[in-house]
Amino acid sequence: MQATPVVSPGLDLQASFIEALHGLGLSDGIARLLWLPLPMVLVLVAAVVGVLVNVWLERKISAAVQQRIGPEYAGALGVLQPLADGLKLVFKEDIIPARADGLLFTLGPVLVLVPVILSWLVVPFGQHLLISDVGIGIFLWIALSSIQPIGLLMSGYASNNKYALLGGLRAAAQSISYEIPLALAVLAVVMMSNSLSTIDIVNQQTGAGILSWNIWRQPVGFVIFWICALAECERLPFDLPEAEEELVAGYQTEYAGMKFALFYLGSYINLVLSALLVSVLYLGGWGAPVSVEWLAGVLGQSVDAPLVQVFTGSLGIVMTLLKAYLLVFFAILLRWTVPRVRIDQLLDLGWKFLLPIGLVNLLVTAALKLAFPQAFGG
Amino acid sequence: MFGFLKKVGDYTQEAVGAARYITQGLGVTFDHMRRRPVTIQYPYEKLIPSERYRGRIHYEFDKCIACEVCVRVCPINLPVVDWVMNKATKKKELRNYSIDFGVCIFCGNCVEYCPTNCLSMTEEYELAAFDRHSLNYDNVALGRLPTSVTDDPAVRPMRELVYLPKGVVDPHGVAANEPRVGRLPEQVLETLPASAPADPGANA
Repeated sequence: MQATPVVSPGLDLQASFIEALHGLGLSDGIARLLWLPLPMVLVLVAAVVGVLVNVWLERKISAAVQQRIGPEYAGALGVLQPLADGLKLVFKEDIIPARADGLLFTLGPVLVLVPVILSWLVVPFGQHLLISDVGIGIFLWIALSSIQPIGLLMSGYASNNKYALLGGLRAAAQSISYEIPLALAVLAVVMMSNSLSTIDIVNQQTGAGILSWNIWRQPVGFVIFWICALAECERLPFDLPEAEEELVAGYQTEYAGMKFALFYLGSYINLVLSALLVSVLYLGGWGAPVSVEWLAGVLGQSVDAPLVQVFTGSLGIVMTLLKAYLLVFFAILLRWTVPRVRIDQLLDLGWKFLLPIGLVNLLVTAALKLAFPQAFGG
Repeated sequence: MFGFLKKVGDYTQEAVGAARYITQGLGVTFDHMRRRPVTIQYPYEKLIPSERYRGRIHYEFDKCIACEVCVRVCPINLPVVDWVMNKATKKKELRNYSIDFGVCIFCGNCVEYCPTNCLSMTEEYELAAFDRHSLNYDNVALGRLPTSVTDDPAVRPMRELVYLPKGVVDPHGVAANEPRVGRLPEQVLETLPASAPADPGANA
């Protein structure tokens, strides 16, 4: 277990698990093989539960904003409502419209959902609490998220429906134009942390608690990233692809049952994922507002003590989720605050505002990195 | 050069303005979250219909003289008055009376013109049915009185906006004996100066 000298190693469940299996007399390879599915299943479950929480929050917060009550009778405060919705969708008939392209129609939702779930590979909840610390980290997410519009276009085209086709085309146009400022904003962060790995990006933000978070050094990047993330998730103000007043439901128009549920799941997992990545890139990831190392020092505890390790580990998870869901809350509030933009306003904002600002932000970050290497990760 | 700088300045100003307006809007939506829900939780709570609410029509068979005025004033001649002439007494004998509430527009003309006041409006508005023919009420069905919202033990009656006390917007938690905003006609009468006894020739 090699750790960087600055940051404490923290919990390494994988190493402990493999060590424990070694104790039972299993070989190294088998121990690793047994470990592999555990984090995957855990993250998949976490993603789905995250969606359920998200749907519930969306309905409750929307209701509160409109002075309604929202779901109330399914479980306490309606917490089981998303589950009931999901179950209903599972049992609904799977319909493929007449003269639709059956293969593309089925492949579309899969192509939308799989890259989103795959992106959870690089979301860290702690120093070792992620599926895989791939070297290209955040770049993997950007690459995967550009597969999504293909799925949307595919399902829109295969539906044999003009609204679906228009929705699919809009989704593709939107995703392509907002990917560029998004990548530029990420690039500025990457430049500061000298690494694409999400772990390194978070580690670069630890040390001084809330003061060392990237949002202070990248305020413009943060805004650009969040706007682009909302556009990528097709959240209101940017929900043109599924604008229900004009396009019925966009590319989802002809979908029912489980295929629709895949779209639904995909869009909400994407929202949670985007919020998580904002918290990773700009809000210090699993880092608490007060540095845990400093706190342990004040309380006279060793950072490597098992109990403290467990505490820091769970605090990291709680912090990551807290930041992510704060952003989700903000997104929901924004949904009821701003009206939907027109397609020309959308492209205007993407190409003529966010792209130049993103470029300037990148250049300024580079200049600041050269001028103040210690503050901007030289 | 300066033109370009001015453009950049204007653009920045616009962007800052837009950001400010969005923040303002977020403030409004955020503020609404702490307000109490104003919605009426329908099957458990119901609004008390106003005094002049035009609901399902009530009909008293014994008062009816089968004059068919209601049919004539109805925009679509809806009421069906089934009578026969009794040759011996030379009087109309009413057999049946029905109104189809699947077609009625609740304009209230029949109620307005009925010479014997056998038609009246109730406050019943829950007329959903599985079969549209079951909305065709005969004289027995028309003679039933609806359950009043205030008498129904399963329902919490809520006052409408105009019946609430002054300054109150939310009907939840308003006591039943709290007076509504404004004054009742008899209260208005009390404040008027005692006028001279009505001149019988004035209205003629």
